[in-house]
Amino acid sequence: MSVSQETETRSGADSVLRLDGIVKRYDDVVALDGVTLTVSGNEYVSLLGPSGSGKTSLLRVIAGFERPEAGRVHFRGADVTDVSPHQRGIGFVFQNFALFPHMSVLKNVTYGLVNADEGAVSAEVAERRARAMLEMVGLSGLESRGVDQISGGQKQRVALARTLVKEPQLVLLDEPLGALDANLRARMRNELRTIRKELGVTFLHVTGSESEALAMGDRVAVLDRGRVLQFGAPGTVYDAPSTPNVARFLNRYNLFAGSLHPDGGFEGPFGKVAAPRVQPADEALYGIRYDRVTVEPENTAADAPALHATFRASEYLGSSVIYFFETDAGKIVESEHHMSLGTPPEYRAGARYTLRWKPEHAIVFG
Amino acid sequence: MTETSTASGAAGTLPRQKTDSTAWLLITPGVIWMTLFLVAPILMILYVSFWTQTTFAINPTPTLESWRDFFTSQTYMNALWTTVRIWLIVLAATLLVGYPAALFIGIFVRSRILSISLLIVCVIPFWTSFLIRVLAWRPMLGREGAINILLQKFGITSAPIDALLFSELSVVIGMTQIYVVFMVGPIAFMLSRIDRNVIEAARDLGAGFGRIFTRIILPLSLPGVVVGAIFVSVMVLGEFATSAALSGRQVNLLGNIIVTQVGSLKWAFASVVGVVLTVIIGIVIAMLLRVVDLKREL
Amino acid sequence: MESRILKPLLGVYLGLFILFLYGPFIVLTILSFQAGPDGGPQFPIIEWSTYWYRHLFGMTEVTRVAPLRLGEALFRSLTLAFMTMVTATVLGVISAQAFRKRFKGSNVVFYLIVLGMMVPGVLTGLGISLLSTELGITRTWWGTAFVAHVVYTFPFAFLVMLAIFNRFDPSIEEASWSLGVSPIRTFRKITLPFVFPGVLSSMLFAFTLSYDEFPRTLFAGGSDLTLPRTIYATFAVEIHPNIFAFGVLTTLFSFSLLAVFGILMYLSTRRAKKLASQEDI
Repeated sequence: MSVSQETETRSGADSVLRLDGIVKRYDDVVALDGVTLTVSGNEYVSLLGPSGSGKTSLLRVIAGFERPEAGRVHFRGADVTDVSPHQRGIGFVFQNFALFPHMSVLKNVTYGLVNADEGAVSAEVAERRARAMLEMVGLSGLESRGVDQISGGQKQRVALARTLVKEPQLVLLDEPLGALDANLRARMRNELRTIRKELGVTFLHVTGSESEALAMGDRVAVLDRGRVLQFGAPGTVYDAPSTPNVARFLNRYNLFAGSLHPDGGFEGPFGKVAAPRVQPADEALYGIRYDRVTVEPENTAADAPALHATFRASEYLGSSVIYFFETDAGKIVESEHHMSLGTPPEYRAGARYTLRWKPEHAIVFG
Repeated sequence: MTETSTASGAAGTLPRQKTDSTAWLLITPGVIWMTLFLVAPILMILYVSFWTQTTFAINPTPTLESWRDFFTSQTYMNALWTTVRIWLIVLAATLLVGYPAALFIGIFVRSRILSISLLIVCVIPFWTSFLIRVLAWRPMLGREGAINILLQKFGITSAPIDALLFSELSVVIGMTQIYVVFMVGPIAFMLSRIDRNVIEAARDLGAGFGRIFTRIILPLSLPGVVVGAIFVSVMVLGEFATSAALSGRQVNLLGNIIVTQVGSLKWAFASVVGVVLTVIIGIVIAMLLRVVDLKREL
Repeated sequence: MESRILKPLLGVYLGLFILFLYGPFIVLTILSFQAGPDGGPQFPIIEWSTYWYRHLFGMTEVTRVAPLRLGEALFRSLTLAFMTMVTATVLGVISAQAFRKRFKGSNVVFYLIVLGMMVPGVLTGLGISLLSTELGITRTWWGTAFVAHVVYTFPFAFLVMLAIFNRFDPSIEEASWSLGVSPIRTFRKITLPFVFPGVLSSMLFAFTLSYDEFPRTLFAGGSDLTLPRTIYATFAVEIHPNIFAFGVLTTLFSFSLLAVFGILMYLSTRRAKKLASQEDI
């Protein structure tokens, strides 16, 4: 498709944001430990990290609310590390929306246009642009409402409209869907992507949810303890996590501790098996994705790798089913069945099965 | 320490130090004001309490004379005891009289506007001068005062009660009326913050009011009680006007002694009493603050 | 349900409680209309009259009851209260602003400020008068008493502003910056509308507390009397209903002050309310 082609060429050409060794400390706690990251124009970047990984600190440093102890922030080719937030031209959407509670929906959106230091526009122009933006986010008719008289999803859209109407090249979104209920969250996912594409603006979206990060980002950056562990396309991150922690955060891998032998084999709870794909890492870990694990009746002729386990429970997720098995050592191993592959099989609770996978599907760290 | 961190942070900026310095810039005027006009005067009281007192003057020759006088005089020890006694009685009285009122305003009144209005009604008397409010108890409590007239009219007593005015009782009544609002306000505030759903849930589970009160309402209102107690304690312990106006010199508090001593230019002695009063108040506040963190409750 | 009994019971109690709070003032108001100049400050009312009100304004013949010298005292008290209000509110706002971010030593500073309302007036007054005597500074209502008043009222203003800032979500300011609005304009457009009711409350606190302040002024105020000290002077001598009449008048004055505050408060919050009700149009 032409749109995706355009995206490709653009992303290669110019970088909108370039972070260079950002360090941020709060007293003795290191929130950011040398973050280096380049974000292109017109792309959707998800920033995935567990709580405490420093992801919100990173957004606040980019926005200019916090100043880093070391490192530089480059925006549109200029060093903005020492530039005040109001002169950066970077949009920010807060998790709690942070709407101006004493203003109407329309006033919230025109506020930034009318009051800006640079490029302020007349009230009429501001209102016209605000109305157009409100229409785009689907809030027509609510212009004169007070912001305490609209729902959470509508607040989210006002926050978005208020930011987008300024036509920033980069918008930072701090867990923008965190305050919404599950239904709304799913709908807003699509809408955020659509709106972004339409405006050609770059989104940097911080989230603690791996599914949100994978679903929304053109690229996904995984942050842990103030460092970027991996930055790549969702498919790459999903298929080939670069470190054990990335595999953990993805929440899609069965991980087994063990030891990696010099001959290339991995010794784990399933015995010694071949390890064709090895990623250098500090700890020896064997990972196999949930959907690569197949379930067979017990005691079929076992060519490794395989595990004997007891079926415990299953969880229906809509597009797939997850089955939970417990090994004799008490470890829970999960298997995922995608609905697209047909009707999900049923297993008997308490019965024993053999779990099997192909060695080339496993990812081994060590 | 500042030197080294400046050197090590030279590569980047120093936000922590920067926010600290802007904060200190803003706070400096207040800190200077309080140091010069509050801390220094109180240290001066402590200092002067060790000065030598002559008939009409003081000189800085250090002596323990005034301190010995204070602790050996029956009159002053009585005043110390009276102050503590009146404080305890008034504290208990304001709590007993105020708590039910706060309970009604904070818990039983459902409408927020009504509960705020009721609080305002309680606060309105404060816009009458404090001294006038004290004086107003004289025609209430006197031999021919309103209360005695009412008591006789309803046949409760046959002769006027003299003990109402110019006694310890009149001081306690006066102080209770003046200070009770400082107890009601914080308690009602804390009570109004209690989530109604918690009470409803407890009720649904079959808890009676007594149980809800002791398990939910009382513990959650405790910070309010403590804040109220701090207000009342500080004001009662430093009192002298109410006792001067309503006790007919029957009740001598430490505050009264300071006033009379200053009046007769016995500065050193007044300072001793001042230090004693400071120590008492310090102990009381420290004890109360152990129960609740005032800063967090705001 | 127990609360069916308890609620009306407590309601009745609250009625009695309010009567307890207002009783003395009601009696005082009644007695202020006592006949003069021979009627005393007690019941029964010999004859209803406005004699003691006229007496206050020097509109009666000279009798053995000396007129209260209120004019100058009122002027001093109002001036002092105004000076205190401005100083205490400014100190309160900037100090609370500093406390929006935790800084080194913030705990010590917090207690230093709060100490000002904790230390009884007798002690502040005594200390300031000792210090000024030692330094050879003449005690005046506009000097030594003024600084003592600010020591007393600044903590109230500070705490009010602190509570206001605590409720204020700083991300709203950040949102404004991120929309390209300068911090100064943000303060004016976003922060100030929020904290303004707090500023008004601080001013009201400081003004009324100072206007009625007595123990500090007694020690630190020098020879010119303020209103409360004029009243206190009558404690030592026989009181007459003129002091009651005066009490009624000062209360009315305070209420008019309160009304001004109420109007200002209403005006400052009206904009927000107007917006909220726009939906109905």
